[in-house]
Amino acid sequence: MIVSQVMTKEVVGLLPEENALQALDKLLEMGISGLPVISPEGKLLGMFTEKEVIAKIFPSYLESVGGFQYDQDAKGLKQKIANFSGLAVKDVMRKDVICVEESTALYEAAHLMLTQKARRLPVLNKEKKIIGIISRGDVVKAIFSQYK
Amino acid sequence: MKNISFKLFFLFALAIFLGFLSYASGMSQHQCLSVAIFSASILGTLFFWDFRLSFAFIGTSVLLMTKTIDLEHVIEFASLEVILFLVGMMVIIGLLKQEGFFAWIVSLILRIKKLTAWKFFLVITLFSALLSCAVDEVTSIVFMVAAVLEICDYFEVNPLPFIISTVIATNIGSAGTVLGNPIGILLASKSGLTFEDFIVKAFPLMILCLAVTIFILAFWYRKALRQLDEKIKELGANEMLIHLISVPPEKNLKISLAIFASALVFISLHHRAELAWDLPANTVLLVVPMVVAGFIMIWKHTKARDYIEKDVEWWTLLFFLLLFVQAGTLKYTGATVFIAKKLIAATSNNPVFLTSVILWIGAIGSSILDNVVLVAAFIPVVQGFGALNVHLQPLWWALLFGGCFGGNITLVGSTANIVALGILEKEKKIKVTFLTWFWVGLTVGLITTFIVWLALVLLPFYA
Repeated sequence: MIVSQVMTKEVVGLLPEENALQALDKLLEMGISGLPVISPEGKLLGMFTEKEVIAKIFPSYLESVGGFQYDQDAKGLKQKIANFSGLAVKDVMRKDVICVEESTALYEAAHLMLTQKARRLPVLNKEKKIIGIISRGDVVKAIFSQYK
Repeated sequence: MKNISFKLFFLFALAIFLGFLSYASGMSQHQCLSVAIFSASILGTLFFWDFRLSFAFIGTSVLLMTKTIDLEHVIEFASLEVILFLVGMMVIIGLLKQEGFFAWIVSLILRIKKLTAWKFFLVITLFSALLSCAVDEVTSIVFMVAAVLEICDYFEVNPLPFIISTVIATNIGSAGTVLGNPIGILLASKSGLTFEDFIVKAFPLMILCLAVTIFILAFWYRKALRQLDEKIKELGANEMLIHLISVPPEKNLKISLAIFASALVFISLHHRAELAWDLPANTVLLVVPMVVAGFIMIWKHTKARDYIEKDVEWWTLLFFLLLFVQAGTLKYTGATVFIAKKLIAATSNNPVFLTSVILWIGAIGSSILDNVVLVAAFIPVVQGFGALNVHLQPLWWALLFGGCFGGNITLVGSTANIVALGILEKEKKIKVTFLTWFWVGLTVGLITTFIVWLALVLLPFYA
């Protein structure tokens, strides 16, 4: 089985110039954790995910300073949340994205999801344009439906 | 791409030129090759920092293939004792991080009662220096920067003067003990200096330089201190901040603190233990972090792999290991004795002049290069002086202080500078220019190195 047989073909994406707060609302509405960022020409530019939003608004040293506890929200955090509405999707997105091609084997996609801890993988054609997206759910569904 | 090609061309041209220069000055073929390859590695770290390990791997392989060094000596010069010491310490630091030791330290700083700008300034500079003495400068700077940014955020003042002061104090403090900087343990291992030697000779000199530095920085940033004082009056000390942040020391943190304290006690007593048990110099110093790390991995056995795989910086340690091999090759081929003889002739065998040369070259060199690279290069040269009956002790201290204090001169002079300014840029979008750092860094760098120079050449204590 190959990726193109399993992937979701109707890709909902974000434009790089879109407002980051509106993009976050879209994520929350759809109940998903991330969306691809696609140029008007259809090329994949990055991923806009909840993880990137968290990294943007909390201090970058939070991970190192383990056990740091805020009883209330800190001033810096409030400021960053206020600034967030002025950002574009391209300011928040992650640029290095692990992708697969339409002919990639499903096993390889599963391997990438496990080793790279990726929840979903954009699928690109030979012109590097995004033509679909494959999620962990798609892989599980495809494998189990095959043997049911 | 053009820029990279130019840098690569310049790097190899300079390395080959240095090789030929060595040949012209009378060195053998193997000596010249070791000088050229070591120069290429050093220049590689300068021009292509991200590729330093690649340069180290390829350079060491060329040394082996050209029979400039053999496998047996590669292992001898790799200084595994230093690498293992650093691995052990990194595991201990990993435990402290995980159990919230540093967050607790940060919260202590944030809870200063009856805060004033001067009190805050004094606390952050003192804590920075002492924390970098106890752990290491790169670990401690992250937490000190976090504390400074929290306070500056709360009082809405520009954090830059306080961040620069914190970094400068961290670099000064890193010379105080064997643990403050990788060059500390490297020098201890190669010179036979003990932890007690560092406490008796390096620590007081570091404290003196720190006191002078605090006054220089307080004067330099007097406007920023005045602004902070005004903000404290306006917003009413930091009572709100005290309510905001709470890091209660939990049971595991207390146990971790006890483990760390015991490690420090045993490390500080290593020389006496070695004498009592008739062990070679520095055996206990190198064994203590390994034993403590071993017990930590038994206590936290489910996380033992994480300590080794995530908390130990293998990239850096492998670079150090191969760098030590390349520096050792200079000794193996006799290139360092050759350089030592030339230096002695140039300084007319005058110990004061020799100490001055090492100290100032160390300080200026480490303002551009990584100080471990510089010290690794100088160690075999200083050992070469030993073969020529020169008294080495002031030269070791000159290397230590030159290597640590020189890092203050430029913003790329030490890893702590780069880490702190990286966080500042990410958090506050403040990009520090070369000159913003340079004038204050140069002033502190020159004055503190001058104080060390006076101490080393005037006080018989250091001779």
